[in-house]
Amino acid sequence: MSAAKTEASASGNGWVGLVPVALAASLFVWFLSFVPQIGAGEVVRLSWDWVPSLGIALSFLFDGLSLTFALLISGIGTLVLLYSNTYLAGHPQYARFALFLTSFMLAMLGLVLADNLIAIFVFWELTTITSYLLIGFGHETYKGRRSALQALFVTGAGALAMLAGFILLGFSMGSFELSEILAQGDALKAHAMYLPILILILAGTFTKSAQFPFHFWLPNAMAAPTPVSAFLHSATMVKGGVYLMARLHPGMAGTDVWFWTLTVAGAFTAVFASFLALRQTDLKQALAYTTLMALGTLTLFLGQTSAYAMTAFAAFLIVHSLYKAGLFLVVGCIDHGTGTREADILGGLARAMPVTAAAAALSALSMAGVPPFLGFIGKELKYAGALEVQAMETVVVGALVLANALMLAVAAVVAYRPFWRPAGGAMPHTPHEAPWPMLAGPVILAVLGAFFGLFPGVLQWALVDPTVAALTGGDLHAKELKLWAGVNMPLILSAVTVALGLAIYAGHRSLRAALIRATDAGPNFDRGWDRFLEGLKALAAWQTRVLQSGQLRSYIFTVFATVLVGLGGTILARGVWQGFPDLSGVTWMNVALMALILIGAIMAAITRSRITAIASLGASGIGVAMIFIAFGAPDVAITQLLVETLVVVLVAYALLRLPQLDRPGERDWRPWDAVLALGVGAVVTVTLLAVLATPFDRRLTTYFETASWPEAFGRNIVNVILVDFRALDTFGEIAVVVIAALSAYALLRTTTDKAAKPATQKDKAS
Amino acid sequence: MVAADLSVILPEILLSVFAMAALLAGVYGGKDRWAPMLVWAASAAMLLIAAFIGLRGAPGAVAFGGMFVDDAFSRFAKIVVLVSAAAVLAMSQDYMQRRGILRFEYPILIVLAAVGMMMMVSAGDLMALYMGLELQSLALYVVASLRRDSAKSTEAGLKYFVLGALSSGLLLYGASLVYGYTGTTLFSGIVQVAGQGDISLGLLFGLVFVIAGLAFKVSAVPFHMWTPDVYEGAPTPVTAFFATAPKVAAMALFARVLHDAFGGAVRDWSQVIALLSVLSMFLGAIAAIGQTNIKRLMAYSSIAHMGYALIGLAAGTALGVQALLVYMAIYVTMNVGTFAFILMMERDGQPVTDINALRMYSRREPARALAMLILLFSLAGVPPMLGFFAKLAVWQAGLDAGLVWLVVASAVASAIGAFYYLRIVFYMYFGEEDGDEVETNTSPVLYAFLMGSAAIMVLGIANMFGVDQAAAAAAAVLVN
Repeated sequence: MSAAKTEASASGNGWVGLVPVALAASLFVWFLSFVPQIGAGEVVRLSWDWVPSLGIALSFLFDGLSLTFALLISGIGTLVLLYSNTYLAGHPQYARFALFLTSFMLAMLGLVLADNLIAIFVFWELTTITSYLLIGFGHETYKGRRSALQALFVTGAGALAMLAGFILLGFSMGSFELSEILAQGDALKAHAMYLPILILILAGTFTKSAQFPFHFWLPNAMAAPTPVSAFLHSATMVKGGVYLMARLHPGMAGTDVWFWTLTVAGAFTAVFASFLALRQTDLKQALAYTTLMALGTLTLFLGQTSAYAMTAFAAFLIVHSLYKAGLFLVVGCIDHGTGTREADILGGLARAMPVTAAAAALSALSMAGVPPFLGFIGKELKYAGALEVQAMETVVVGALVLANALMLAVAAVVAYRPFWRPAGGAMPHTPHEAPWPMLAGPVILAVLGAFFGLFPGVLQWALVDPTVAALTGGDLHAKELKLWAGVNMPLILSAVTVALGLAIYAGHRSLRAALIRATDAGPNFDRGWDRFLEGLKALAAWQTRVLQSGQLRSYIFTVFATVLVGLGGTILARGVWQGFPDLSGVTWMNVALMALILIGAIMAAITRSRITAIASLGASGIGVAMIFIAFGAPDVAITQLLVETLVVVLVAYALLRLPQLDRPGERDWRPWDAVLALGVGAVVTVTLLAVLATPFDRRLTTYFETASWPEAFGRNIVNVILVDFRALDTFGEIAVVVIAALSAYALLRTTTDKAAKPATQKDKAS
Repeated sequence: MVAADLSVILPEILLSVFAMAALLAGVYGGKDRWAPMLVWAASAAMLLIAAFIGLRGAPGAVAFGGMFVDDAFSRFAKIVVLVSAAAVLAMSQDYMQRRGILRFEYPILIVLAAVGMMMMVSAGDLMALYMGLELQSLALYVVASLRRDSAKSTEAGLKYFVLGALSSGLLLYGASLVYGYTGTTLFSGIVQVAGQGDISLGLLFGLVFVIAGLAFKVSAVPFHMWTPDVYEGAPTPVTAFFATAPKVAAMALFARVLHDAFGGAVRDWSQVIALLSVLSMFLGAIAAIGQTNIKRLMAYSSIAHMGYALIGLAAGTALGVQALLVYMAIYVTMNVGTFAFILMMERDGQPVTDINALRMYSRREPARALAMLILLFSLAGVPPMLGFFAKLAVWQAGLDAGLVWLVVASAVASAIGAFYYLRIVFYMYFGEEDGDEVETNTSPVLYAFLMGSAAIMVLGIANMFGVDQAAAAAAAVLVN
């Protein structure tokens, strides 16, 4: 059974599986060819125009930092693609998977090599989308789909904030090319927009790199197939945020905000994640949290500016990618060979899976920071860097010691217990060794960790020195990577770490139980996310209920309320109230007309009879027309009277035919409508008073006054305007009234014919 | 003089004459039997006029004493309006005919609305503005209730009409105040008065009312309430039309009034527009989350998109207007493709609007699902689709004008808004089938529009087909 399965696995997926591997490998070799140049301190830049009107260029920058990332991405990419070809052998959708994974790798390479801010963002989002497809690849389960969506939203939301930060940065510094922006780092730090830019960009990098409090999506995203986790969550996607902070380091680091934000978030994430890592029993989940710890540590060092901190960053970046990718692949092998990843069940695998066990041991020792592995050098540098932190050294050092000790314990949980301790229960499959394409990755990565530990000089020259130069803009030189630096503070701290770590491992089961109790009691960010989504949905539902009720009345209410608030606000802000107006010119006639209008309006509002309402409105309108007459505008008055009459007749005709909608006897009490009506009325009155108090442009009036006799030979200005200056207007008005009357006639005629029949039928029925 | 004026409005005249001729042909000819032919003729006529405007080459001119302005800005807007109207009209023929609602008046009303829109974007005077606006609106009120036997459709038309009349009232009230305090209805005259230091209170109130009236037309919050109801109630091809050409015209008119007439008082209106913008973005983003009806969802989507486009207007600069035009052109292209897909959605010949019906659609129709995925990503503003560059353009304009808070708010809103676009993608690719799957009809016209629009979203990122250059030229004549 197991032999047959191994055979099937070894056959892979044909050329669909091998082409991506070859592509990744050739990219890796191509990047490797840059090493001598970059190692010698050169920087290579390639550029093409893209959308010049928006300041976008397709430009790439090869320096120590980008080359380190490019090598890690393409190198680990090659191994992961080779691994997945076997891991998912015969999967019906393997072609799709390989396409996603390769696209993801290319997007990631674009991200770390691009020099243009917008191009960086485009690649950044491409990694988000492709990783979404990858995480969701195991979408048969509800969990897979949910976590894919969650990862997409959290990182996508951060990315948009980051884009705003990028644009702000580009405008503030006058260029979208990072190399140009970073060259004027002092101007950037002194810029008024520095703080908003920093906050926005960090929103993007913290979500991408899962820094607290945005950490919750990363462990959930482990629902992806294991090779995906190995690739995305060791060397690549989550490090995208770290990469960007490192890239901006020479231009933006050194301020208090930068230091405190990164140091505090990084240190807290590191410790917090280490505890959560120990809490897990699923090996993959445990590794996911240790990735968080590594990201926290990297962020912490990026907060600093000392040479030790920078060297520690560069070294730990490489170390972590090597051992973490290796361990993820090992867990994949365990899963493949036994059918489970539960730490409590697994045991005694060393006999059945000797190569996996060896690779796991080497990687785990590096992770634990034991000499002579690269992890040890990384840890020594971390302590050296932490001792130089500009404030709170003790806290930072303490945090790192605790985190590293927990790391050691987790390394033991992942790589010691399953292989060398007796099993805790029955495993779904009889354990069997993975085929060679799946072992190649873990073995190569583990051996590299040991090799670089013994010969750190190679790494120093090829990658660490140029990376530190890129991080500091060439100001500082990297500290030396060495296994033995004499008995110093870091070495003592290392000894403490190992002792503490072993103690924690010894008691890890009881500690885990305590942690589970503690975390269950504490706030749960994952559940918080669910509640956030529910809240959004509830808000949407509330909106629909209140604003989008479907009732025309409430829509009109909103429009008038807006008018009320807008006008009232302006009036209050401008302070236009100029005292009570002079009322001496008001005649009894004016008062009577006002009363007519007012009574008409009130009657229309309170009556329950349609015909009364229409008639009252008509009365109101006639009152307005009379006002025009009283103030010497008979032409307007006549038009108004005509229109009023027509409206009353037509509306009465239409409304009286409609069925009675209000149920008789029901009280129709709408106090809010009354309040709104009074409010709008008051505001419009005040507006009118204020408007009338400002000087009126009399040019037109003067023109008609002076021109009516010499040009039109008429002394009655109104008449002259009607029949001469605006003769065409008058003609148009007449035409409109005639057309309105004609169409009203047509309407009345047709509806009378049609309406008559159903009405009679109804009568018969009742 | 008159001859010169008439030659300036020749495109409008030609299109109006076409509409009249088509109306006569419809009434005295084959009535509804001729409707499909009239749809295609109207579509072709609008395309021809668009080509005519594009290739005309004559320098910009002002006609009728400044009431009508023909410049690079109006030409850009007119071409977008006409091409999108022609596209939507072409997409609607098959759908409407199969459901028996294709009346011969429909293409004619669309053409008349297009003439109104052409007037709007060329208006140089408050009167011309109002005339164009009402010509457009009256045609739209009728097409909204085209499906006379459906309660939802007639209700949509009525709501649209009542609220539209209300907004016209606000606009007219504002226009009369503006006239009272400047003594002219010509934009060129208003700008002389409004450009001198602080504008008077009367003029300010006038401006506020005019903005309120126009905000209704672009369905900016809080004047948006008609949008979801009308989008849902109107027949889908009409909804597609509402979502495209009228939005461009109203937005261009908005830009024209604010810059041509109130260009000297940017400070006075910039904050108001920014407020409309931020409200629209957030309401559009949040309210759509609960929607399962794709037409209502697209209504909120259009509200949110108008919010983003308004950032360009709030900037009050030439860069802002350029961004606005680029945004609208891209927005329209995305919506044509998306609605082509929505028009395809059906089951047993009946239209389907529930997004739950799209579960695992990718497995049944991979090509269409991919096209829709591209369009939805583009609508959400996810790079590298073209929709991202639209957002980028308005954000750049906003930041350039110092509206940092607005840009940040819009980033937050678009993050929330991405949720509902991606939810559709999620259903199509990861959803669980529940038996009520949607079928998609095989109309080659709709297929071509869907695929073409998606292809533009991807290929456009190379150089935007030069639209950004044209928009820059258009913006330069409006803002100076």
